[in-house]
Amino acid sequence: MRTVTANDGRILARIIHLAHRFGCTYTSVAAENLGAQYRMEFAFAGPCDALRRLDAQITKLLDDDRETMA
Amino acid sequence: MRTGAAIVLDTLESLGVETVFGYPGGAIMPLYDALYDHRIAHVLVRHEAAAVFAASGFARSTGRPGVCIATSGPGATNLITGIVDAMMDNVPLVALTGQVRTTVMGTDAFQEVDVAAVTHQVTKRNVVVRSIEEIEPALRAAFRLATSDRPGPVLVDLPTDVLRAVESERAVLTATVVREHPRAGVPELEAAVTAVRRAQRPVLIVGGGARWSGATEVFRSLAARVGAPVAATLHGLGCADPGDPAFLGMLGMHGWKRANLAVAKADVIFALGMRFDDRVTGDPAKFAPNAHTIVHADIDRAEFNKVVHARVTLHGDLRETLVALDHRLARVPLPDFSSWCEEACAPQEVLPRDDARHDHLSATDFLDALFAALPADAIVATDVGQHQMWAAQRVRASHPQHFLTSGGLGSMGFGVPAAIGAQIAHPGRTVVAIVGDGGFQMSMAELATLRRHELPVKIVLLDNRNLGMVRQWQELFYNARYSSTALPDNPEFTIIARAYGVEARLVDNLNAVEAAIARMLASPGPMLLHCACYPHENVWPIIPSGKGVDDLMERAVPA
Repeated sequence: MRTVTANDGRILARIIHLAHRFGCTYTSVAAENLGAQYRMEFAFAGPCDALRRLDAQITKLLDDDRETMA
Repeated sequence: MRTGAAIVLDTLESLGVETVFGYPGGAIMPLYDALYDHRIAHVLVRHEAAAVFAASGFARSTGRPGVCIATSGPGATNLITGIVDAMMDNVPLVALTGQVRTTVMGTDAFQEVDVAAVTHQVTKRNVVVRSIEEIEPALRAAFRLATSDRPGPVLVDLPTDVLRAVESERAVLTATVVREHPRAGVPELEAAVTAVRRAQRPVLIVGGGARWSGATEVFRSLAARVGAPVAATLHGLGCADPGDPAFLGMLGMHGWKRANLAVAKADVIFALGMRFDDRVTGDPAKFAPNAHTIVHADIDRAEFNKVVHARVTLHGDLRETLVALDHRLARVPLPDFSSWCEEACAPQEVLPRDDARHDHLSATDFLDALFAALPADAIVATDVGQHQMWAAQRVRASHPQHFLTSGGLGSMGFGVPAAIGAQIAHPGRTVVAIVGDGGFQMSMAELATLRRHELPVKIVLLDNRNLGMVRQWQELFYNARYSSTALPDNPEFTIIARAYGVEARLVDNLNAVEAAIARMLASPGPMLLHCACYPHENVWPIIPSGKGVDDLMERAVPA
């Protein structure tokens, strides 16, 4: 289970799409609107290598999200 | 009081934008109305796909963000291939799309498409601007993100009522959040130095990251200091000095045999600003089988160990990483790799070619003559296919911004509009678009753009009356079943060019090539040189998809 916060709530959809692209699937997803930000919790299942790559991509998406929000 | 559209243009101008590429339509009309008498120049293309490719050509040849504009609905969706292309090749791009007014969004209004959802997976970020106050911060964030870290496309969707709104006196608060700038750590840099010192057969591979980080100069300095053989990916061409005897040429599927063999023999690989694309590695399990250490430097940590395991990873801007590495290497004695370099680089390789061309003009003969005639600072844009690989094998680009090509996505129709963008950015330079007859027919309406804007782009059309690369694969891997690749009914391209008011010539034999090229380069305006080529010439060598260097083919194997 990984918990993150993001400015753009749509990132969750993007992460789910990425997971399926990598041959993974989600085992649980939860999100909450905190006002200016969204808190998201998710867990994925899939091949170890794909999960590692997914994790790296999620980190990158969150880096971009933090930088862009004005 | 300014309108939203005026704020868009003023903000673009304040960000250094002088030219935008686009095509008007209903929802984006307020922006075009503001463009009517604004200082920012607009290049009207003939299809939105050309707008995004032209912006890409501008960005690739300058390192600065390219800007394209389209209306909502079909205008926006026509940008998508170019947006993905920019994402794959790390091109800083800002796409501005019109959108239906906010009050009807979600009602399936005329020319409504949720372009933010459609492009969500293929942009670094996109945003729907819902109020006039959001315009300036959204654009500034878009430019920052398009150029920061690993560059890429950002889309800003602009509803028509937001563009028509009039600003109030209310001050707009903008917050700037800049991410932490990654820098390769000292232990990793020391590990890279150790890898050099312990290597016996190192190879440096330079990729497109060197282009975007401005690392060409420091890469050449470091390569000279190490004295190891150097190979380049498609997007790394121009980073290494093409005249350097240690330069092995392009690596990968259609790369030089000596480059692929050197990587196969290498015990240490320095992968600098490259992402181990499958066109480079073939079967990753067979890539660099003798390398006990791969040192991977990249701005994007998600690239580390994605395809190939790296023992040492250097996370940071490539130029800064190489400067730091070069400083460290300067302080320690390094092995002498000259005998390995000699082994890897000699004998001078001649690219294999098909022999039987039956008195037709050979595309490769033509390209040899063209590259011999081009000025050193010429910018070459290619389309996608056989001509692209022939050009990549032969081009002697002295800078990565001199060779523009669609690598990751491989988008046909890229060449001519990319050349338009490059010519806009470099009005005094020779800009040549090398295209095939397939790709040219996806973009030839842009002859009108060349004429309209008096852009002296030279189009070299290598016409083999086939979708040549697909045909080649059908010949080699699909039992010569030529399904929908023959184009015997191609039009008279010279007549088409002349109909657009563009000078055009036909060349169909080798004896006439030199004069034809000289005439083309001397022409003051745009020109099409239609080269009627042997239809069945193949690209050699080739490492079949998913194979290794052991499977390299230098000519067709008789059935």
